[in-house]
Amino acid sequence: MVKVPLKSNTSYIIRQLPSPTAFIDTNYNIVQTSDKWTSIFNLNEERNSFKSLFAVFPKLSHKWKMVLDNCFKGNPQPMGIHQTIDANGQELWFEWTNAPWYDTNENIVGAIIQLSDITEAVNNELELNKKELLLQQQAEITKIGRWEYNIVDNRLFWCSTTKSIHEVSPDFHPNIENALFYYKEGHSRNAISMALFEAQNKGKSWSNLKLQIITATGKEKWVMAGGKPIYNKGEMVGLIGTFQDIHEQVEADLKTIDNEKLLRTLIDNLPVNVYIKDTESRKVLVNKAECEYLGINDPKEIIGKSDFELYSYDAAKKSRKEDLKVMNTLRPVIGKETVKTTLDGKETSFLSSKIPLLNNKGEAYGIVGISLDISTLKEKEKELRNIINIASVQNKKLLNFAHIVSHNLRSHSANFSMLLNFLESEEDEVEKNNIVSMLTKASNNLLETLDNLNEVVSINTNTNIEIKEINLYNKVVDVCQNLSPFISNNKSKIENNIPANFNIKAVPAYLDSIITNFITNAVKYRHPERGGHVILSAEKKEGYSILSIKDNGLGIDLDKYGEKLFGMYKTFHDHKDARGIGLYLTKNQIDAMNGKVEVSSEVGKGTKFKIFFNEKN
Amino acid sequence: MKKISDITIIDDDAITVFGLRKLISSSVECNSIQSYENGKIALDAITDFYTNKKAIPQVIFLDINMPIMDGWEFLEAFIELPITNKIRINIVTSSIDPYDKKQWEYYKNKSHHLITFNQKPIDRNKITEITQVA
Repeated sequence: MVKVPLKSNTSYIIRQLPSPTAFIDTNYNIVQTSDKWTSIFNLNEERNSFKSLFAVFPKLSHKWKMVLDNCFKGNPQPMGIHQTIDANGQELWFEWTNAPWYDTNENIVGAIIQLSDITEAVNNELELNKKELLLQQQAEITKIGRWEYNIVDNRLFWCSTTKSIHEVSPDFHPNIENALFYYKEGHSRNAISMALFEAQNKGKSWSNLKLQIITATGKEKWVMAGGKPIYNKGEMVGLIGTFQDIHEQVEADLKTIDNEKLLRTLIDNLPVNVYIKDTESRKVLVNKAECEYLGINDPKEIIGKSDFELYSYDAAKKSRKEDLKVMNTLRPVIGKETVKTTLDGKETSFLSSKIPLLNNKGEAYGIVGISLDISTLKEKEKELRNIINIASVQNKKLLNFAHIVSHNLRSHSANFSMLLNFLESEEDEVEKNNIVSMLTKASNNLLETLDNLNEVVSINTNTNIEIKEINLYNKVVDVCQNLSPFISNNKSKIENNIPANFNIKAVPAYLDSIITNFITNAVKYRHPERGGHVILSAEKKEGYSILSIKDNGLGIDLDKYGEKLFGMYKTFHDHKDARGIGLYLTKNQIDAMNGKVEVSSEVGKGTKFKIFFNEKN
Repeated sequence: MKKISDITIIDDDAITVFGLRKLISSSVECNSIQSYENGKIALDAITDFYTNKKAIPQVIFLDINMPIMDGWEFLEAFIELPITNKIRINIVTSSIDPYDKKQWEYYKNKSHHLITFNQKPIDRNKITEITQVA
């Protein structure tokens, strides 16, 4: 017997059911539908009554046939979630359920199919999937991974990016223990452990922790970790956080720091002064050598200062002008010799260069200055020049001396040969004796000449002459003592105005000879109409002790004889004792002690000699 | 050989003066031989001859290295004297300094007098050769 569902006034009740509902008979025909169902699946209010369910949903028939057959046997099964386009063209999602339809005699006469609208739920899920996808993509691009830790069941979740940063396989199951283990031992592991502890116990979040991990493949990596507790109904249930790969960035930063250090080490240890100035000529960088030159300990003391604060106004103005020229023309100044004077008066010679610093538009934004201190070199150069001068003077002297020697010896030998020639052919005995006495005289002259030359040579060749500190006053007193008969015989007096404590540096024997010579000369060439008066005085000036010897004697015409005054065998007065060797020897002795001599004289009035003794000896 | 009237020797070395005198007197005929110790005395004497229109020596033997006024200074002053006669000046020296040779060239070209440069020693032949009227 076919059980026919009762179709009576109950149909009206069915129509009012709030959810879309359909009653089908065991032949799968739709017997009755709720209005809700009708409004969804029927366009023209036409009812589907007695239409086959499979006719209405042709695509689903096969699946459902079995499900419905089971239902008819009293075993209802879920029919799944299906998408439907409603009469208005709107996309709807329904979850289909069924239940056997019993008649009053508890016989199954069909099935009741009921739909619940889950469109919103499905849409939410799609949205979630989309967000999930977006997050994942974002994570992949930015290399910022996520993690979540569930305190309640002690489970740790890593997103795929977090896993890839750790270089673990996608199916790796992290937990708190192995997660911590990936952090590098020491600072990194301690810091993350502390952060986790503080988060769990005090609810503190952490961010921007720069730490190092050792990945599963053993690579060291810099990461940035952040995390914060999450709460459910006021109770902490877990932690969520980010995990970012910042290795390249940190490496780049470290490299930059290394490069800066390298540059700093380099410029600080260069044996030249290096500085960088901005467009206003204010110092923005100075190296150690420049600091030392300016006498400061910390570069900060001069950063921001211009030359106007470090040098005199004129020097700063000149330097500023040069800076501007370099920046305007973009043409560097290379290896220019300059002399800089700091405000405390220290003078330094530099070989300096100024090079414009260009930005990427090719405009100057400052200059870099490099100065090499060449003061010592300059000093050496000066010394060298001095030595060359001395050498050339010595050379000249030597040549002069060679000529003198040659001349003197030749003149004596010429005399000898001439006299011997005469002697050979002379018959007269008286004349013979005369010639022999001439020969004796010539021989004596030669001996004297040799003595003089010997003396000159010994002065000029004795390199280790011993210079001593001598009291000049006492020395003069001694010399006057020795010369006293000569002085008084010549009706002269000596006035010693040298301070009693006046000391000079000289070779004692030379000093003796020098004073004796000058005093003797002053007395010897006194004016015949008056008594001789010789005044000695002394002073110290510019590295020299100066002895002045002033007389009131004959005087010398310096215009005429000035050049020859200290020459060998030059005499200027018609005086029987004049040999022309004294002043020559004196001059040699003064030269040998690195001194000098100056003379001023007026004919008929007197002469003043100034002897300079070098204090540096 | 033409007889020479007056000869002058200017030298501070007595032996050289003695030698020159002896050589000249034994090889050349002349009226007088005068000698002076340095350039200054000689110049004064010659200037005096000129002023008083006395005979100027025809041959002068001149040393270079002398006190007060040396040979070059004497020459400098002598060639300035307005003596029209050509005088022979024999420089007699033992110097081999190139400077002295240069000085000689200089004065030789500057003056109308005959100036010769002779190195010691001077022998009899040399004296005969250079003791002549210019």
